Amino acid sequence: MKKEFKRELTALDGIFGFVEDFTTTNRVGEDVTFSVKLAVEELFTNLLKHNTGGSDHIDIDLTREENKLVIVLKDFDVEPFDITQTKPVDIHQPLDERMIGGLGIHLVKSIVDKLTYEYKDRILCVIAIKNLEGKDV
Amino acid sequence: MFDIWRAENGHILFSGRLDASQAEKVRNILETITESCTLDFKELDYISSAGLGVLLGTQKRLSETGYNLKLINLNKHIRDIFIVAGFDFVFDIE
Repeated sequence: MKKEFKRELTALDGIFGFVEDFTTTNRVGEDVTFSVKLAVEELFTNLLKHNTGGSDHIDIDLTREENKLVIVLKDFDVEPFDITQTKPVDIHQPLDERMIGGLGIHLVKSIVDKLTYEYKDRILCVIAIKNLEGKDV
Repeated sequence: MFDIWRAENGHILFSGRLDASQAEKVRNILETITESCTLDFKELDYISSAGLGVLLGTQKRLSETGYNLKLINLNKHIRDIFIVAGFDFVFDIE
Protein backbone atom coordinates (compact mmCIF):
# COMPACT_ATOMS: atom_id res chain seq x y z
CA MET A 1 0.00 0.00 0.00
CA LYS A 2 1.32 3.39 -0.93
CA LYS A 3 0.05 6.87 -0.23
CA GLU A 4 1.36 10.41 -0.16
CA PHE A 5 0.89 12.66 2.84
CA LYS A 6 1.29 16.40 3.31
CA ARG A 7 4.48 17.46 5.05
CA GLU A 8 2.76 18.61 8.22
CA LEU A 9 1.86 17.24 11.64
CA THR A 10 -1.85 17.35 10.82
CA ALA A 11 -1.18 14.50 8.39
CA LEU A 12 -0.64 12.14 11.33
CA ASP A 13 -4.35 11.28 11.69
CA GLY A 14 -4.43 10.06 8.10
CA ILE A 15 -1.13 8.24 8.53
CA PHE A 16 -2.39 6.28 11.53
CA GLY A 17 -5.53 5.36 9.60
CA PHE A 18 -3.39 4.23 6.68
CA VAL A 19 -1.23 2.04 8.94
CA GLU A 20 -4.31 0.51 10.58
CA ASP A 21 -5.81 -0.32 7.17
CA PHE A 22 -2.55 -1.98 6.20
CA THR A 23 -2.13 -4.02 9.39
CA THR A 24 -5.80 -5.09 9.38
CA THR A 25 -5.67 -6.15 5.73
CA ASN A 26 -2.48 -8.09 6.36
CA ARG A 27 -3.69 -9.60 9.66
CA VAL A 28 -0.87 -8.13 11.66
CA GLY A 29 -1.29 -8.43 15.43
CA GLU A 30 -1.47 -5.69 18.04
CA ASP A 31 2.18 -5.74 19.12
CA VAL A 32 3.56 -5.36 15.61
CA THR A 33 0.88 -2.80 14.70
CA PHE A 34 2.00 -0.65 17.64
CA SER A 35 5.61 -0.90 16.46
CA VAL A 36 4.72 -0.01 12.86
CA LYS A 37 2.69 3.03 13.97
CA LEU A 38 5.55 4.22 16.15
CA ALA A 39 8.21 3.64 13.49
CA VAL A 40 6.18 5.44 10.79
CA GLU A 41 5.38 8.41 13.04
CA GLU A 42 8.97 8.80 14.21
CA LEU A 43 10.39 8.57 10.68
CA PHE A 44 7.77 10.94 9.26
CA THR A 45 8.25 13.59 11.97
CA ASN A 46 12.01 13.27 11.64
CA LEU A 47 11.76 14.04 7.93
CA LEU A 48 9.54 17.05 8.71
CA LYS A 49 12.08 18.32 11.21
CA HIS A 50 15.27 17.91 9.18
CA ASN A 51 14.18 18.38 5.56
CA THR A 52 12.28 21.62 5.71
CA GLY A 53 12.95 22.71 2.13
CA GLY A 54 11.48 19.73 0.36
CA SER A 55 8.38 19.22 -1.73
CA ASP A 56 4.96 19.43 -0.11
CA HIS A 57 4.49 15.71 0.44
CA ILE A 58 6.13 12.52 1.70
CA ASP A 59 5.35 9.07 0.28
CA ILE A 60 4.75 6.17 2.66
CA ASP A 61 4.81 2.66 1.29
CA LEU A 62 3.98 -0.38 3.45
CA THR A 63 4.49 -3.88 2.10
CA ARG A 64 4.15 -7.32 3.58
CA GLU A 65 6.62 -9.84 2.31
CA GLU A 66 6.63 -13.44 3.49
CA ASN A 67 8.07 -13.00 6.96
CA LYS A 68 8.59 -9.30 7.21
CA LEU A 69 7.01 -5.88 6.87
CA VAL A 70 8.81 -3.26 4.81
CA ILE A 71 8.22 0.40 5.66
CA VAL A 72 9.49 2.94 3.11
CA LEU A 73 9.30 6.73 3.41
CA LYS A 74 10.39 8.91 0.49
CA ASP A 75 11.07 12.63 0.76
CA PHE A 76 11.52 14.62 -2.47
CA ASP A 77 13.78 17.48 -3.48
CA VAL A 78 15.69 17.54 -0.20
CA GLU A 79 19.28 17.72 0.98
CA PRO A 80 20.87 14.47 2.23
CA PHE A 81 20.41 13.69 5.91
CA ASP A 82 21.20 10.18 7.06
CA ILE A 83 19.01 9.51 10.08
CA THR A 84 20.65 6.15 10.63
CA GLN A 85 23.81 8.04 11.65
CA THR A 86 22.22 10.08 14.43
CA LYS A 87 24.06 10.20 17.73
CA PRO A 88 23.08 7.32 20.03
CA VAL A 89 21.08 8.14 23.16
CA ASP A 90 22.52 7.08 26.51
CA ILE A 91 19.38 5.85 28.26
CA HIS A 92 21.27 5.13 31.46
CA GLN A 93 22.22 8.73 32.16
CA PRO A 94 20.90 10.21 35.40
CA LEU A 95 17.88 12.49 35.07
CA ASP A 96 19.78 15.77 35.35
CA GLU A 97 22.08 14.76 32.48
CA ARG A 98 19.44 13.34 30.15
CA MET A 99 18.87 15.40 27.05
CA ILE A 100 15.33 16.11 25.88
CA GLY A 101 15.05 15.07 22.26
CA GLY A 102 16.83 12.56 20.07
CA LEU A 103 14.70 9.70 21.33
CA GLY A 104 12.70 9.14 18.15
CA ILE A 105 15.34 7.42 16.04
CA HIS A 106 16.57 5.54 19.12
CA LEU A 107 13.06 4.09 19.48
CA VAL A 108 12.87 3.20 15.78
CA LYS A 109 16.25 1.45 15.87
CA SER A 110 15.10 -0.50 18.92
CA ILE A 111 11.75 -1.69 17.56
CA VAL A 112 12.61 -2.53 13.95
CA ASP A 113 15.08 -5.15 12.76
CA LYS A 114 16.81 -3.09 10.08
CA LEU A 115 16.96 0.60 9.23
CA THR A 116 18.65 1.82 6.05
CA TYR A 117 19.03 5.09 4.19
CA GLU A 118 19.35 5.85 0.48
CA TYR A 119 19.81 9.17 -1.33
CA LYS A 120 19.75 9.71 -5.07
CA ASP A 121 18.62 12.53 -7.39
CA ARG A 122 17.57 14.62 -4.38
CA ILE A 123 15.21 11.88 -3.22
CA LEU A 124 15.78 10.70 0.32
CA CYS A 125 14.52 7.25 1.20
CA VAL A 126 14.43 5.52 4.58
CA ILE A 127 13.62 1.84 4.77
CA ALA A 128 12.69 0.02 7.96
CA ILE A 129 12.18 -3.72 8.13
CA LYS A 130 10.21 -5.49 10.82
CA ASN A 131 10.60 -9.24 10.93
CA LEU A 132 7.43 -11.19 11.66
CA GLU A 133 8.74 -14.62 12.53
CA GLY A 134 7.50 -15.54 15.97
CA LYS A 135 5.42 -12.37 16.19
CA ASP A 136 1.64 -12.13 16.64
CA VAL A 137 0.61 -12.54 13.02
CA MET B 1 -8.42 11.15 19.52
CA PHE B 2 -6.38 12.33 22.48
CA ASP B 3 -7.44 13.99 25.70
CA ILE B 4 -5.81 15.09 28.94
CA TRP B 5 -7.58 16.39 32.02
CA ARG B 6 -7.18 16.77 35.78
CA ALA B 7 -9.37 14.46 37.87
CA GLU B 8 -10.96 15.37 41.21
CA ASN B 9 -8.28 13.40 43.08
CA GLY B 10 -5.59 15.64 41.54
CA HIS B 11 -4.29 12.99 39.14
CA ILE B 12 -3.79 13.97 35.52
CA LEU B 13 -5.51 11.52 33.20
CA PHE B 14 -4.50 10.75 29.63
CA SER B 15 -6.62 9.00 27.01
CA GLY B 16 -6.23 8.00 23.38
CA ARG B 17 -3.22 8.51 21.14
CA LEU B 18 -0.48 10.88 22.24
CA ASP B 19 1.39 11.56 18.99
CA ALA B 20 3.54 14.51 17.94
CA SER B 21 0.52 16.61 16.98
CA GLN B 22 -0.72 16.49 20.60
CA ALA B 23 2.56 17.15 22.42
CA GLU B 24 1.93 20.91 22.72
CA LYS B 25 -1.42 20.29 24.41
CA VAL B 26 0.32 18.06 26.98
CA ARG B 27 3.11 20.58 27.50
CA ASN B 28 0.59 23.32 28.25
CA ILE B 29 -1.05 21.21 30.98
CA LEU B 30 2.14 19.83 32.51
CA GLU B 31 3.69 23.30 32.69
CA THR B 32 1.08 24.14 35.32
CA ILE B 33 2.36 21.41 37.67
CA THR B 34 4.57 22.81 40.42
CA GLU B 35 4.80 19.87 42.83
CA SER B 36 4.70 16.07 42.79
CA CYS B 37 1.84 14.68 40.74
CA THR B 38 0.46 11.37 39.49
CA LEU B 39 -0.15 10.83 35.78
CA ASP B 40 -2.72 8.12 35.08
CA PHE B 41 -2.27 6.36 31.71
CA LYS B 42 -5.15 3.92 32.15
CA GLU B 43 -6.88 5.11 28.99
CA LEU B 44 -3.75 6.01 27.03
CA ASP B 45 -3.26 3.71 24.01
CA TYR B 46 -0.13 5.10 22.42
CA ILE B 47 2.78 7.45 22.99
CA SER B 48 5.71 8.49 20.78
CA SER B 49 8.96 10.36 21.41
CA ALA B 50 7.25 13.77 21.29
CA GLY B 51 5.14 12.89 24.32
CA LEU B 52 8.08 11.21 26.05
CA GLY B 53 10.09 14.41 25.61
CA VAL B 54 7.41 16.49 27.33
CA LEU B 55 7.27 14.03 30.24
CA LEU B 56 11.05 14.05 30.57
CA GLY B 57 11.19 17.86 30.50
CA THR B 58 8.57 18.07 33.23
CA GLN B 59 10.36 15.50 35.38
CA LYS B 60 13.65 17.38 35.03
CA ARG B 61 12.00 20.68 35.98
CA LEU B 62 10.21 19.21 39.02
CA SER B 63 13.29 17.34 40.24
CA GLU B 64 15.16 20.64 40.58
CA THR B 65 12.81 21.55 43.43
CA GLY B 66 12.62 18.07 44.96
CA TYR B 67 9.36 16.95 43.33
CA ASN B 68 8.62 14.26 40.79
CA LEU B 69 6.02 12.63 38.55
CA LYS B 70 4.55 9.24 39.32
CA LEU B 71 3.17 7.26 36.38
CA ILE B 72 0.45 4.67 36.86
CA ASN B 73 -1.60 2.21 34.78
CA LEU B 74 0.72 1.94 31.77
CA ASN B 75 -0.41 -0.61 29.20
CA LYS B 76 2.06 -3.25 27.99
CA HIS B 77 3.07 -1.40 24.81
CA ILE B 78 3.67 1.89 26.60
CA ARG B 79 5.56 0.17 29.42
CA ASP B 80 7.81 -1.49 26.81
CA ILE B 81 8.49 1.87 25.15
CA PHE B 82 9.35 3.41 28.54
CA ILE B 83 11.90 0.65 29.09
CA VAL B 84 13.40 1.10 25.61
CA ALA B 85 13.68 4.84 26.32
CA GLY B 86 15.29 4.19 29.73
CA PHE B 87 12.44 5.99 31.45
CA ASP B 88 12.17 3.24 34.06
CA PHE B 89 15.39 4.75 35.49
CA VAL B 90 14.10 8.32 35.72
CA PHE B 91 10.40 7.92 36.57
CA ASP B 92 8.53 6.37 39.46
CA ILE B 93 6.38 3.86 37.55
CA GLU B 94 3.72 1.81 39.28
